[in-house]
Amino acid sequence: MTRAVRTPAGSRPALAGALVLTLVAGGFAAWTGREWYAAAHDDSAAYAVQRDRALAAGEQAVQNLNTLDHRRVEQGLDLWESSTTGDLHKQLVDGRQEFTGQVKTAKTVTTARVLSGAVTELDDRAGRARVLVALRITVTTPDSKSTEKDSRMLGELTRSDGRWKLSGLGQAPVGGTAAG
Amino acid sequence: MPTPRHHLNRERRRQALAGPPAEPAAARSRQRPAVMTAVRETATEPKRETVAEEAAVRPRRRVPPLTLAVLCVLTLLLGGFAGWAHSRAGELRADPARGNTALTDLARTSEIKGQTAAAVAALFSYDHADTGPFEQAGKTLLTGKAVAQHRTLLDGVLAQAARQKTVITTTVTDSAVERIDGDRARVLVYADQSSVSTAGTGERQPKAQKPPQKQAQDQGVYAGAMFAVDVVHRDGRWLVENIDTFGR
Repeated sequence: MTRAVRTPAGSRPALAGALVLTLVAGGFAAWTGREWYAAAHDDSAAYAVQRDRALAAGEQAVQNLNTLDHRRVEQGLDLWESSTTGDLHKQLVDGRQEFTGQVKTAKTVTTARVLSGAVTELDDRAGRARVLVALRITVTTPDSKSTEKDSRMLGELTRSDGRWKLSGLGQAPVGGTAAG
Repeated sequence: MPTPRHHLNRERRRQALAGPPAEPAAARSRQRPAVMTAVRETATEPKRETVAEEAAVRPRRRVPPLTLAVLCVLTLLLGGFAGWAHSRAGELRADPARGNTALTDLARTSEIKGQTAAAVAALFSYDHADTGPFEQAGKTLLTGKAVAQHRTLLDGVLAQAARQKTVITTTVTDSAVERIDGDRARVLVYADQSSVSTAGTGERQPKAQKPPQKQAQDQGVYAGAMFAVDVVHRDGRWLVENIDTFGR
């Protein structure tokens, strides 16, 4: 090949030039192809996507579970149930009737806003994750008084059928556990 | 002419011999005699060498159009693929999920978590009897607007703490890295703050084992706090650059 380029130096510049261009293009194609393949098959990228999905689902679920309007309790609780799985889901289903009664008596409207959230642990294969969600909850009582409260939520997520759902939810305890 | 003529001729002969294998068959059969005569001619008649060379070269310029066309098409295809693959790779890499290396880079994530927890503990702990570590932390762990934020957050508390001889101890109970973008990161922090009025006894302060009266007042007040800090990597350390208390 080098011979082909060297020998007819000046004798067939068109062919030599075309060949060089083709080779250069081939080199670029190989290089960018590898780049593309590497980018498309990057494990950490797939992991990052799962992390972001888990976080988005976790934030939404935590918000859902802290939102309830006494005028639309059934709808609200349906949403609670669809956002959860596992033990938490079972608890919600079991306690549904009792809870409905409580909310209807109290006539409160609870809304929540996610201030910030982050994933602490993610087991991509097992489909488990833990999230921290900083939440601001507003409770409005029948006399239109509303109180705001910040909540430090700890959520546990489990992936079922490709969707991340909340399987555990609690508040970070204050005091005593501060072991460092 | 510095180069001896026989050397030039030898060069030319070698070129003539080396040339054919690279050429397509059709061109070769037509051209070889011309080359050979050219070489022979130049060997015997040096004066005519330039003319002969041109005569030999002209027919060779006629490259088979098919080869050229194939090469052109190939060049275009390869070039096109290269451009496409490059832009695809760029698109994939520009995915915001990928730009954030929280958790994907485990070593960096835990380094940030550890250093942030230590920084928060140092920045929000205060001992009226020994303010050295607190002041030191304020000087070394903060940067940018966090300096002013830290002062605003603690001014009132410190005035009170000095009066009541309080020991404030802050411990990070939970933290998670939201985002790592190169040398910047954002960490969500849950912290417990205990305030003990009048010299804390116990493990944290062995030197405070002075009068026994203090022990009776050792009732801690715990408060939970949540906030996010932006940290920036500088000189091998993560410094707090911003403290976000979510509007509180």
